[in-house]
Amino acid sequence: MKQLFYQALSRVRPSMSAYDVALTWAVLLLVCFGLVMVYSASIAMAEVDKDTGFRSTYFLIRHGIFLVIGLTAGFVAFNIPTKTWQQYAPLLFIIGVALLVLVLIHGREVNGSRRWLSLYVINLQPSELMKFIVVLYAADYTVRKAAFMGGDFVSSITKGLLPMLVVMLVVGGLLLLEPDFGAFAVITAIAVGLLFLGGFDWRLFAGLIGLLALGFVGLVVSSPYRMQRVLGFLDPWQDPYGKGYQLSHSLIAFGRGEWTGVGLGASVEKLSYLPEAHTDFLMAIIAEELGFVGVALVVCLFAFIVFRAFMIGVQAAKLDRTYQALVAQGIGIWFGVQSVINIGVNMGLLPTKGLTLPLLSFGGSGILANLITIGVLLRVDYENRQALRGFTT
Amino acid sequence: MHAPPNTRARQRYAQQLKLERWRVWFIVGGLMALFGALIARGFYLQILNEGFLQQQGEARYARTLKLEANRGMITDRNGDPLAISTPVQSIWASPRSIKLLPSGQRRPNGWEPKDEKDPVPMSVDEVAKLAKLLDMPAKAVAVRLGASRKGAEGKTAQPDFVWLRRHMAPQDAKKVLDLNLPGIYAQTEFRRFYPAGDVTAHVIGFTNIDGRGQEGFELTRQEQLSGKPGSRTVIRDRRGFIVEDISTVIPPKDGETLTLSIDRRIQYLAYRELKHAVETNNALGGGIVVLDARTGEVLALANVPSYNPNSRARIDPARRRNRAVTDLYEPGSTMKPITIATALESGKFKPSTVIDTGAGAMGMAGFVIKDTHGYGPLSVEGVLVKSSNVGTARIGLQLDREYLWTYYNAIGFGQPPRTGFPGEASGRLRAWKTWRPVEQATMSYGYGLSVSLMQMARAYQVFATDGEIRPITFTKLVAPPPGKRVFDPAIAREVRLMMEKATQPGGTGTRAQVVGYRVAGKTGTAKKLSAAGDYTEKRYVGSFVGFAPVSDPRLIVAVMIDEPRGESYYGGTVASPAFSAVVAGSLRMLGVPPDAPTDNILLPGPDEPEVREET
Repeated sequence: MKQLFYQALSRVRPSMSAYDVALTWAVLLLVCFGLVMVYSASIAMAEVDKDTGFRSTYFLIRHGIFLVIGLTAGFVAFNIPTKTWQQYAPLLFIIGVALLVLVLIHGREVNGSRRWLSLYVINLQPSELMKFIVVLYAADYTVRKAAFMGGDFVSSITKGLLPMLVVMLVVGGLLLLEPDFGAFAVITAIAVGLLFLGGFDWRLFAGLIGLLALGFVGLVVSSPYRMQRVLGFLDPWQDPYGKGYQLSHSLIAFGRGEWTGVGLGASVEKLSYLPEAHTDFLMAIIAEELGFVGVALVVCLFAFIVFRAFMIGVQAAKLDRTYQALVAQGIGIWFGVQSVINIGVNMGLLPTKGLTLPLLSFGGSGILANLITIGVLLRVDYENRQALRGFTT
Repeated sequence: MHAPPNTRARQRYAQQLKLERWRVWFIVGGLMALFGALIARGFYLQILNEGFLQQQGEARYARTLKLEANRGMITDRNGDPLAISTPVQSIWASPRSIKLLPSGQRRPNGWEPKDEKDPVPMSVDEVAKLAKLLDMPAKAVAVRLGASRKGAEGKTAQPDFVWLRRHMAPQDAKKVLDLNLPGIYAQTEFRRFYPAGDVTAHVIGFTNIDGRGQEGFELTRQEQLSGKPGSRTVIRDRRGFIVEDISTVIPPKDGETLTLSIDRRIQYLAYRELKHAVETNNALGGGIVVLDARTGEVLALANVPSYNPNSRARIDPARRRNRAVTDLYEPGSTMKPITIATALESGKFKPSTVIDTGAGAMGMAGFVIKDTHGYGPLSVEGVLVKSSNVGTARIGLQLDREYLWTYYNAIGFGQPPRTGFPGEASGRLRAWKTWRPVEQATMSYGYGLSVSLMQMARAYQVFATDGEIRPITFTKLVAPPPGKRVFDPAIAREVRLMMEKATQPGGTGTRAQVVGYRVAGKTGTAKKLSAAGDYTEKRYVGSFVGFAPVSDPRLIVAVMIDEPRGESYYGGTVASPAFSAVVAGSLRMLGVPPDAPTDNILLPGPDEPEVREET
């Protein structure tokens, strides 16, 4: 028993293999599980939709292709030294902002949102890539502004916070114009989290959080569209066929699942009742078909990935690789926040956002960005291990 | 570590950044707490609150489909069907899921609903096609499809269900469904068919369009006939297709077959003869009851006017009246055999005891009891054969009123016959303590009390069965129930022979005779009470109650003709021929051997006046 415990613990701690085996397998497990669930959730909808040509495998095939592309891109990302990412972070950031501007001009509008750039073969969603870029950029920014982080009050505000605030206002504004409220929340969380981890005065931080909360409330109240989304989640049963429609169906899916679910493929909610079953509300279908066991498994896998990301960051910090540490932890914040929000939305804890479940939900740009990010995270870990073995990177 | 010293120094200077470990744990702890909250919430939704959520789900996509039970067949005693159900299709629509388009517009190809509340557009062409197949005006169909009604909360909403056309032949309904219109559905229902039509209408009754019994045995045996509908709860996807059964299918329990004691052939004969009698005598109506004398089973019950239960047109309530069971009349002379049997039972009289009927009139407390002729002294038998009111009154007056009441009561007057029919009349027999002598006298010959024809037929069992009376039943019996003895068998037989004489020359019911069989019976011609409560109006009820064959009675037949307005109104003229025809036909059908030579009919001589009675 004791031996087993230590064995398990040794998997959690970085072992002396060249890369993080446990993390890799956790990611691969989620990705494959996602493929199965996307197929299961989309099959009934794809069969009757003329946009998919009435092909039941429409989403399965596309998701499979995205996974191949994403895994390849992730492998490429794994082979790029983190220094290079740091070096090109500002440039990537500018490209990202440019794409966000472009999507507002040339984007394809779906369901009242302008989020997709048509690239003939696939539709690119710049906001997904922007999350990755913001991790790289905010980590770089924090390292660069290290001197002002724990400094005196005025300089930490003007030199440490203000530039970031301006940059984030621009990016946030662009995202809200699409509108993509979910991406805005994730990017804000990454930026704020990295500033906090970078040592920004925590008292100032408390004030900043308060300010952000105020801004959040202001944004919600100012737009009827957002207001409606927020109000719908408070009590979906008040208007279950109107504002609370999607959420009430999501909750019903959870309720139908019970312990072990109705069985893979046996969901009723996916039969055109629950909209976005294969993207934003994939978790509801997992809950219905695989029950509490399936939900707990997915949550635990995400918790593991997030925990690993932070531990890789801690290891990097021990090795004085501050930028890499912040990148890994930024990735942890991103995956943590996005999965918590997505699952929380599915469970009716948070207002409907339009955020996908990382690594699982259907969506080319999301999968691509997620897998590149995992590649970078594994790269940070790989460099840690190399450093521990005495190699310089 | 192995970097050149100057590089390292520059890095140290540039970094200055020492990541504090507590901040990492702060955020990791926060995120892990959130993951924990998700698992807790999942547990709440999936394990603790799943009942409510599943119920909400079922409210949205579960639908309980009713599986109609086949209504039981009603047959006569030989298994011939009197009421059968055939499956038909009824077309219904869900106006809530249909949106009627203005003319000229069409539903776009590949149209898909936005959500489950989104109504399907339907063009004018489609409505017209539908209306044509339903054989209804297009306007009427459009009105039904666009129907809206007030909901429970006072909001007008479109209903989820309206009938378009009910009880269509299956092949016609299939044509409608083949149009493949959204929101139009078919439901299997059963339509009741009555092969005997108006002949059995009053016994069987009929069902309404929803298959519920409304009259007769369709009503009283509703539970037994209807069976139990089954159900099937299914989950449908949003486009209405059934995905799976979520509960065990409860199969419908078909109704039981009801076997009546009615004999279809006798019923037909009785109805035909009654109708003939009512028509030839230009009467308001009439009733006839045929009983099996040995068992108390009803072999036929018919009324005129009748109605066709197969017709869905509105039926005149007057025609639905089951006169034989629900209508009361004063029995008149048909009461006399009962009074006389009671008198013989008392021991105070013998058949040969002489009663002086004088000149045919008897004054009593300002009331005069009259006969048509002055018969002078008559034996008890003579009183019955000549149907003398005076004689019967004199006999009745010599009996104790309580004694008389006991026999009238034992024979079933003043109580419902309990045949299982709705609205059975119990008649009126006043408590003996309230009888005044004049009333006792008139009651002896059938006035001052009221009965139904069914009660009268039932009462005559005592003469047909050697003094016993059995409950009346409409269901076929395996074995007859034991009878209740009312009269001594010898007395019953004596009265039976007197009643046979009443159908022979010198009696009032000569037209009741049947070739080859000995019959016995009593005519009755009662004045109807006017609206004012007296007997001044010339409105009569002519009746005949009798049985045959006398040697071993098999049938009791009671005929009543209401307000005959032809040449004659006497029971002996208007009711006896129907009795004769029904008995003749029925006995032959039943294969009862004749108990008389075929030249047994004795008619009064041409110079001999036909004996009539005035009550």
